[in-house]
Amino acid sequence: MPPAGLELARMNRKKGDKGFESPRPYKLTHQVVCINNINFQRKSVVGFVELTIFPTVANLNRIKLNSKQCRIYRVRVNDLEAAFIYNDPTLEVCHNESKQRNLNYFSNAYAAAVSAVDPDAGNGELCIKVPSELWKHVDELKVLKIHINFSLDQPKGGLHFVVPNVEGSMAERGAHVFSCGYQNSTRFWFPCVDSYSELCTWKLEFTVDAAMVAVSSGDLVETVYTHDMRKKTFHYMLTIPTAASNIAVAMGPFEILVDPYMHEVTHFCLPQLLPLLKHTTSYLHEVFEFYEEILTCRYPYSCFKTVFIDEAYVEVAAYASMSIFSTNLLHSAMIIDETPLTRRCLAQSLAQQFFGCFISRMSWSDEWVLKGISGYIYGLWMKKTFGVNEYRHWIKEELDKIVMYELKTGGVLLHPIFGGGKEKDNPASHLHFSIKHPHTLSWEYYTMFQCKAHLVMRLIENRISMEFMLQVFNKLLSLASTASSQKFQSHMWSQMLVSTSGFLKSISNVSGKDIQPLIKQWVDQSGVVKFYGSFAFNRKRNVLELEIKQDYTSPGTQKYVGPLKVTVQELDGSFNHTLQIEENSLKHDIPCHSKSRRNKKKKIPLMNGEEVDMDLSAMDADSPLLWIRIDPDMSVLRKVEFEQADFMWQYQLRYERDVVAQQESISALEKFPTPASRLALTDILEQEQCFYRVRMSACFCLAKIANSMVSTWTGPPAMKSLFTRMFCCKTCPNIVKTNNFMSFQSYFLQKTMPVAMALLRDVHNLCPKEVLMFILDLIKYNDNRKNKFSDNYYRAEMIDALANSVTPAVSVNNEVRTLDNLNPDVRLILEEITRFLNMEKLLPSYRHTITVSCLRAIRVLQKNGHVPSDPTLFKSYAEYGHFVDIRIAALEAVVDYTKVDRSYEELQWLLNMIQNDPVPYVRHKILNMLTKNPPFTKNMESPLCSEALVDQLWKLMNSGTSHDWRLRCGAVDLYFTLFGLSRPSCLPLPELGLVLNLKEKKAVLNPTIIPEAVAGSQEAASNLGSHTPLVGFPHPFSSSQDEEEIDMDTVHDSQAFISHHLNMLERPSTPGLSKYRPASCRSALIPQHSSGGDGTPTTKPQWSMELTRKGAGKEQPPLEVGVHPAAAALSVFTKETASSRHGDHHHHHHHEHKKKKKKHKHRHKHRHKHDSKDKDKGPFPLASPASGRSVRSPSLSD
Amino acid sequence: MADAAAAAGASGSGTRSGSKQSTNPADNYYLARRRTLQVVVSSLLTEAGFESAEKASVETLTEMLQSYISEIGRSAKSYCEHTARTQPTLSDIVVTLVEMGFNVDTLPAYAKRSQRMVITAPPVTNQPVTPKALTAGQNRPHPPHIPSHFPEFPDPHTYIKTPTYREPVSDYQVLREKAASQRRDVERALTRFMAKTGETQSLFKDDVSTFPLIAARPFTIPYLTALLPSELEMQQMEETDSSEQDEQTDTENLALHISTDDSGAEKENASVLQQNPSLSGSRNGEENIIDNPYLRPVKKPKIRRKKSLS
Repeated sequence: MPPAGLELARMNRKKGDKGFESPRPYKLTHQVVCINNINFQRKSVVGFVELTIFPTVANLNRIKLNSKQCRIYRVRVNDLEAAFIYNDPTLEVCHNESKQRNLNYFSNAYAAAVSAVDPDAGNGELCIKVPSELWKHVDELKVLKIHINFSLDQPKGGLHFVVPNVEGSMAERGAHVFSCGYQNSTRFWFPCVDSYSELCTWKLEFTVDAAMVAVSSGDLVETVYTHDMRKKTFHYMLTIPTAASNIAVAMGPFEILVDPYMHEVTHFCLPQLLPLLKHTTSYLHEVFEFYEEILTCRYPYSCFKTVFIDEAYVEVAAYASMSIFSTNLLHSAMIIDETPLTRRCLAQSLAQQFFGCFISRMSWSDEWVLKGISGYIYGLWMKKTFGVNEYRHWIKEELDKIVMYELKTGGVLLHPIFGGGKEKDNPASHLHFSIKHPHTLSWEYYTMFQCKAHLVMRLIENRISMEFMLQVFNKLLSLASTASSQKFQSHMWSQMLVSTSGFLKSISNVSGKDIQPLIKQWVDQSGVVKFYGSFAFNRKRNVLELEIKQDYTSPGTQKYVGPLKVTVQELDGSFNHTLQIEENSLKHDIPCHSKSRRNKKKKIPLMNGEEVDMDLSAMDADSPLLWIRIDPDMSVLRKVEFEQADFMWQYQLRYERDVVAQQESISALEKFPTPASRLALTDILEQEQCFYRVRMSACFCLAKIANSMVSTWTGPPAMKSLFTRMFCCKTCPNIVKTNNFMSFQSYFLQKTMPVAMALLRDVHNLCPKEVLMFILDLIKYNDNRKNKFSDNYYRAEMIDALANSVTPAVSVNNEVRTLDNLNPDVRLILEEITRFLNMEKLLPSYRHTITVSCLRAIRVLQKNGHVPSDPTLFKSYAEYGHFVDIRIAALEAVVDYTKVDRSYEELQWLLNMIQNDPVPYVRHKILNMLTKNPPFTKNMESPLCSEALVDQLWKLMNSGTSHDWRLRCGAVDLYFTLFGLSRPSCLPLPELGLVLNLKEKKAVLNPTIIPEAVAGSQEAASNLGSHTPLVGFPHPFSSSQDEEEIDMDTVHDSQAFISHHLNMLERPSTPGLSKYRPASCRSALIPQHSSGGDGTPTTKPQWSMELTRKGAGKEQPPLEVGVHPAAAALSVFTKETASSRHGDHHHHHHHEHKKKKKKHKHRHKHRHKHDSKDKDKGPFPLASPASGRSVRSPSLSD
Repeated sequence: MADAAAAAGASGSGTRSGSKQSTNPADNYYLARRRTLQVVVSSLLTEAGFESAEKASVETLTEMLQSYISEIGRSAKSYCEHTARTQPTLSDIVVTLVEMGFNVDTLPAYAKRSQRMVITAPPVTNQPVTPKALTAGQNRPHPPHIPSHFPEFPDPHTYIKTPTYREPVSDYQVLREKAASQRRDVERALTRFMAKTGETQSLFKDDVSTFPLIAARPFTIPYLTALLPSELEMQQMEETDSSEQDEQTDTENLALHISTDDSGAEKENASVLQQNPSLSGSRNGEENIIDNPYLRPVKKPKIRRKKSLS
């Protein structure tokens, strides 16, 4: 690389403030990764990397790289041995065993730890010292080659080995390995700059068994046998500059399929699955064509590879020029339901090839642009492939999802800007995790983040038109491809990075429109809009008086000001009105066009130009209004609660052609259980032209309505006659036709109707016998012999229907469930389930859908008391070795059992699986399910909520999950759900004062604790002068040393303190202090522990305290031995309560009591207040356990 | 020897002459056969030009012929049983003859020799007494190719079938009902059997037999059973395959044609202009040779070669 390029680069950096500014003092230009030994038996990997870097500052003497779990043997810089230090603070987030267990504290510490190794901040786990011999060389900004030999042994994350335990060689066994992970996780399997913003060219080499294939990013240049001819080396070159985070590999005995339409595309699957692979990928070329056409740009890489692997981390993972899919996406031509899902996955991964892999991001806060664009073009593909209805339905679904999530959690912020570290600016104070790094995000949040990103892209499209939108994308792509072809001008490569500002600039250049308000509303701030609409028709003025209110005070909401489209369907036609939503105007007058009479029997024009006949007898004679829709185009991220009469909803359902409107009216009609609603829904159900998803949701709505009108319902059970007419034989209406699923619409309807019917209940709240028999007959007469599609999903849904029909057992004084008192209906159901489940063993269905449904149904029977509640069956199905869908279904049942039966044993079993299961996805999923269906929540009494559990979970998120970002965040989520943000309530009580002290500005006293707390201290206070264990204190103190800790005056004080603080909390607290209080307070524990433990002299100079604190990570545990945890906790309690009052007062107080130890602690506390200020200033807060060690590491400071 | 010959002769020669008046039927057979063989030997001798022969030599030749035929029978039986049959076929005999060093090719010519003598059928002395009690109907006469001395056909009722016809079940409902219950019965019986013979799980602690669940058994490669269609489905797929394939490709092609017809050529050209010559090159010249790096042969290692690469 000519140095001239670098000169230019620096000039570029100086003048272009909008350009990319590398956080690193060097530029990486090329990296070699060579993995020359893979041992499947031992699950180990040996290899080296070589990074070619150009220093950009003269005094570069340390190079920070990312590396996790790799064992590094040797580092050489330009062939000279170099000293290095490896420090990963994320391995253990909080080093010292505090009894605090405060999630707030943990999240801060975790964010600090991630920050300390964040490549986007120029940090890394691996710090290499440039040998002094090379300093002069560096000063001339000459090239450095860093050669690192490393190995990986039994990696727990980043690289996943699948080694089936059967006979034969590894290739025969189908053993394979692939890279995986969440966001930038490449550092887990080789040392690199694990950032999306550091691009370089690549040379990748993998030596594998001769029977195996190594698939990796870039072009396969050649495959060469090793000298013993038993192995092959795959040589890959990737000349398009790519971030390390987008490099992937998959190695195994894959079957190779060259795409028949595009020969540069190659597909790989595990042995025996080739026919499925052929079918599954036969569609891919159309996706290619679509994207290339709309982006008017060729696929950027010269080749593309898809690899289908087992035990996938995620279903789809896109990397540079290759995508890794779950093997479970493969399907044969007989499978209906999986086909669209798999095609979606393929399309999604391909969209990310353009935006995400080829075009990378500058920083984490620009992630939304990439996710947004790839999601948006994927949406365009959906529209083209599955039609506008499907697309709009999807958009509505996504919108509902994000709205629900934001309202629940308080908002998703697309473009977080982090200013100066002031916690006031913390944009996510409502969350229990930091959004500063991708690795601290809850998985659910990230999913929602992606969802919001593409919705916002759609909003931008609405604003600037699709044409401009595509032009912008094309511009980004062509800029990037120009830059990528500049092989020797690495400074140009930053053109391949997208940033929020660059993207917005492109938009304004291309479209000439100012979308700043839109960006400000949806990107720079979180929250969605919540509209409440109602209307009145003013007959005199012939005006529609629309009132639109907003709720912008609830969490997750924001105020919307701007245009809002309202569509009014009148007798004379459909009219769009654009209202200006302003600060204080709630009422909007909309003039009506129609003169409210409909005696002329003419057709009514609809929005799409269609004219239809309507039966207008239902409507209000005075009003010409048929229905009103607010924001019909979904151009605001909002939730609308609109009130209109039932007949209007019914008209909307019948005649509005937009599927979203139909969907909305269906959900509104649930509240109007009338014969008219029934009729409207039935009509929709029968209407063949109607979108099948609308018809499917009409089924469920109809079931609900039928249940609400159970006393007045006439005729056969809802949908029965309809189903009979549509799907049963003409001559014998009780027998269903032999299956023919050629028409997918009716297939989906046929599947869904029985499931909805089973939800029907009679006056006794039981499922009508007629319905149950009907479903049983469907199962009995099911005949798939003549069908060219598999009926496994259909049969599975029939079992779901059976499960839906189950109602709680009538239990006579809690008798034990036995076979003898089994309800005869349940007996029939159980008979079917047994047979299905057993048949699955002999003739398994695709993806074992039937087993999955059976397991769910069994759990339903258990839960309703028909069958003894017992997790044994589920536990056996949850074992490793079953198909993943079965395992998840079984685990879901165990999770549910744990909750319902409050079983400690099962919870332990689950936790054990979270730690030890070989499949990362399953581990993640268990945490996820436990969070969604928690055995208990904060503020809830539960025998499961114990100190041991707190410790266990704390350990899990603190150190047990360091190998998997996603898992750790999942553990944090669970901890939050179970215990909340502050100290778990089940920990011994006396720490309570501490909790109060630690409150974040928004935190409120845990309501379940307050009364207890006050009671506890009151009781203590009432026992003045005697040593009495406090309420909630399990262990009485035994040692005299501990007794010293009990100071009744302090206890007395604490009561005053609590009441004082309760008052304080009424007022807003000062945010400035509270942010780092948790950290400092926790640190305050340490010296106090040590002093309590060894009984050292009381007065200690402050500097020595400081030392103790610094060394705390290592020294503390031994010191703590002998201190009764509860005692330590109590001392903190007393300490804190005292110190929080006026300084003068408590100094005095302590002198009075001659508790020098206390005083000393007290001083220490003050000391820490200073610390916390220091921390705000420095980039590496000294108190942070994460960064503390690396900064002061001895090997570097010489 | 005689016994063995008798047994072999019975199956090998197939000549079942009627029994003599002797008390022992086995002896009768033996004597009859012996006599026939003597006639054969004598005629062969006559054929060969002898006018008379000593009794002893005729006896010796008869003995030899009998041994020879017995050996053919015994050996043919072995061959036949070796191939899991009970009835010897012609090829068994042929193989036997070959094995015994006989040139089978000469046999047809020998059989058609002009001077051969035809031996008359053995005299049937007295009909075996058949129990007449159960005769029903007329016994069928022998067809022309069966010699008349062969036993008569058995009574017609022992082999003639009279098909009975019931009204065929054409009622759709009954058919479906039948198919459904049949399948259900088979499934239930099968699963019960599997459950009985293997490990089971139960939903009820007190009763393990009413709803036996075949125990869940983990697979070493779980995705294979989950993803691959079962053999039954494969069969089904094959049955419907041809028609389905046609339909599918039809629709797919339709979509393809639409897109390629209007913009295909243009697009291709445009893309060539854009960039990535290698890619578009391979797209154009894809017709005959698929150039995919994964299909290329693996290179032999060269000394020094790898060094320069890495």
